[in-house]
Amino acid sequence: MDIDKFREMFLIEAAEHLQSMSELLLQLDSDPVDQDGIDALFRDAHSIKGMAATMEHPETTRLAHHLEDHLADCRQAGRISGFEIDWLLEAVDLLELLLDDIRNERSERSVDSFISSNPKSPELSACSGEEIAAVALSVSGQGQLIQLQLQETVVTPGPRFLVLLNTLATLGPVLESTPSMDDLLQGDCSHQLLVRLESDLPQQQIHQQLQQYSELKLITFPDEPEQARPAKKRSMDKTVRVSTELLDHFINLTGELITNRYQLQNALKESNWQDLNEGVGQLARLVKNLHHQVLQVRMVSLESLAGRLSRTVHDLSRSQDKEIQLQIEGADIELDRAIVEGLTDPLIHMVRNAVDHGIEQQGTISIKAWRERDLVMVQVADDGRGIDPEKIRQRALEIGLTNPLQVRTLRNYDLLQLICQPGFSTAEKISETSGRGVGMDVVKTAVERVGGLLSIDSTPGEGTQITLKLPLSLAIIRVLIIESAGGSLAMPIARVVQTIEISPDEVQSSGKQLMIHYQDELLPMLSLRKILKAPKGENLNPIPLVITEVMGRKVGLVVDRLVGQREVFVQRLPPPFDQIRGCSGGTILGNGQIVFLLDLQTLFERRQG
Amino acid sequence: MIVDDALFMRATLRDVFESANWKIIAEASRGEQAIAEYKTYQPDLVIMDIVMPEMGGIDAMKRILADYPDAQIIVCSALGQNNLILEAVNAGARDFIVKPFNRAQVLEVAERVIAE
Repeated sequence: MDIDKFREMFLIEAAEHLQSMSELLLQLDSDPVDQDGIDALFRDAHSIKGMAATMEHPETTRLAHHLEDHLADCRQAGRISGFEIDWLLEAVDLLELLLDDIRNERSERSVDSFISSNPKSPELSACSGEEIAAVALSVSGQGQLIQLQLQETVVTPGPRFLVLLNTLATLGPVLESTPSMDDLLQGDCSHQLLVRLESDLPQQQIHQQLQQYSELKLITFPDEPEQARPAKKRSMDKTVRVSTELLDHFINLTGELITNRYQLQNALKESNWQDLNEGVGQLARLVKNLHHQVLQVRMVSLESLAGRLSRTVHDLSRSQDKEIQLQIEGADIELDRAIVEGLTDPLIHMVRNAVDHGIEQQGTISIKAWRERDLVMVQVADDGRGIDPEKIRQRALEIGLTNPLQVRTLRNYDLLQLICQPGFSTAEKISETSGRGVGMDVVKTAVERVGGLLSIDSTPGEGTQITLKLPLSLAIIRVLIIESAGGSLAMPIARVVQTIEISPDEVQSSGKQLMIHYQDELLPMLSLRKILKAPKGENLNPIPLVITEVMGRKVGLVVDRLVGQREVFVQRLPPPFDQIRGCSGGTILGNGQIVFLLDLQTLFERRQG
Repeated sequence: MIVDDALFMRATLRDVFESANWKIIAEASRGEQAIAEYKTYQPDLVIMDIVMPEMGGIDAMKRILADYPDAQIIVCSALGQNNLILEAVNAGARDFIVKPFNRAQVLEVAERVIAE
């Protein structure tokens, strides 16, 4: 078997063990005598060692082995010290880097200096090469590969291969086969079989034995494919683990769809309108169900982020000598994998901000996630000192974001959103963590890239809340269809605050800018036609408006017509069309019409740039 | 020993084997009967039809194998019953033949099983 096939599996599983290790270490930090925790840590290290040895990654194996030894001592001692936890957390980081090396097909970095840094047991670090070899040998590279091909005339390939496997098993243990015994019993009926047989018999003798089967067309003993394998490009985000339960759902649904097809065909043949009607109704139900299940495949829970966030809080509170609790609620909420991945860095940064700028000595950071219809809300809140609006006013004037008149009229809430403007940072001293040149503007952009909205709320002395409004999925989303300049466009619902219609005499002007009253604020009124550089349309009454947010500010966007909401499957545009600014994808409506997804953010960047 | 509920099949198989100098020492037309006959004659090889009334070939084979784990049994089945053949092979049949069969094929399978 091609060991390369297992590489991705190895990377995914090793990453899971590392995640589990970080979580366990953080738990042990508060309960250092938790035997189960130490045992579980030991098992994680042990599993990584075994896998890495099998995959022949010597440095990863050495480090995992070293950790395993160290943890074995901890098990005996029945406790783990805070000092050791920090050291082990560093080891987990190093293992992550090693996995990165393996993933990117670089040679692994050396673990020598790290292992000798272990204050406790330097002599244990000499993990003998023989042991690694022994672990590796027990799984890979053993036995004889045999490839069998049946005559095309054989009508019973499955049973035939089963008999052949039984026969081969009399020569020595069959280590593995493709298709496997189970596949064959399930009815696999390919005419090819690949077997790995552990046998002392010479090839010739195995060949003779097999030659008795006239059903076999070809008997070959291929070389190990390992040396010859090409360096293929792999990427982690291309594979997803799917539970077999979900796959069964798919099979069931497919079965129902097939039945439905015959129903519909029959009804059509007989012109039976009632059956046809019922059939179409059922089809709609099945497709909806299928859609739901397909989405599930891409869904991961926020749980996967929890470990990294706890880790960030742990490290920061250590280094800054603060006492900080992290509370996570709703970690079971699920989102599209791509969104969760896109959220990782922004969330970590928000947590860092809260530690650096929010909480002074001790406090709590809470991360809450909940569903609101087909949106997911994520809120990062701290009970720290909050944000002083006066400081924002000063800073906004300093960097010329606004003029003195505006600064006084802006409501506090709107002032707070200014933090997300590029170049805005009121931190008096640049800390090691959040002062790395990544400000809230980057966080906000990252959130918007996954189709979300970010808003900040803060009360001086009470704390700060940052709320993210996110779509469940990137591929299938709810959109608002609008018409402008003779064409239809779609806007993700997550980006729409509200749709309203106003009469022309509600429009006010402030200098050149037209304004409208929305709730109790004045919003600039922008024409989509103008933004799209389309000719001016006729005057509308009432004026249809989409209240949305661009660059952190609410605006009223004038469109020609509000068509309605729809669930659509968004497809990325192929190059060179993906370069079109203001357009983040396309979709085909039920009537065959192609509608582009409007990305106001980039349109405005263009306008400003 | 040949086990098949159809007299025609038993006769055909007998002819195939006898023409190749095999000796047929027993015949059975039912599963129960096959088990009893096996005990009496302990033949070197059994050709067992899978689909028979009352006790089927697979059950009869399992019963025989329970007492005589080394019994050499070849099952015999009609075309298109791959699942039954799979079940039989998985339950211990040494090989199988598919009806309609040709003489050479039947003898090849039988000789192969005896040789092992």
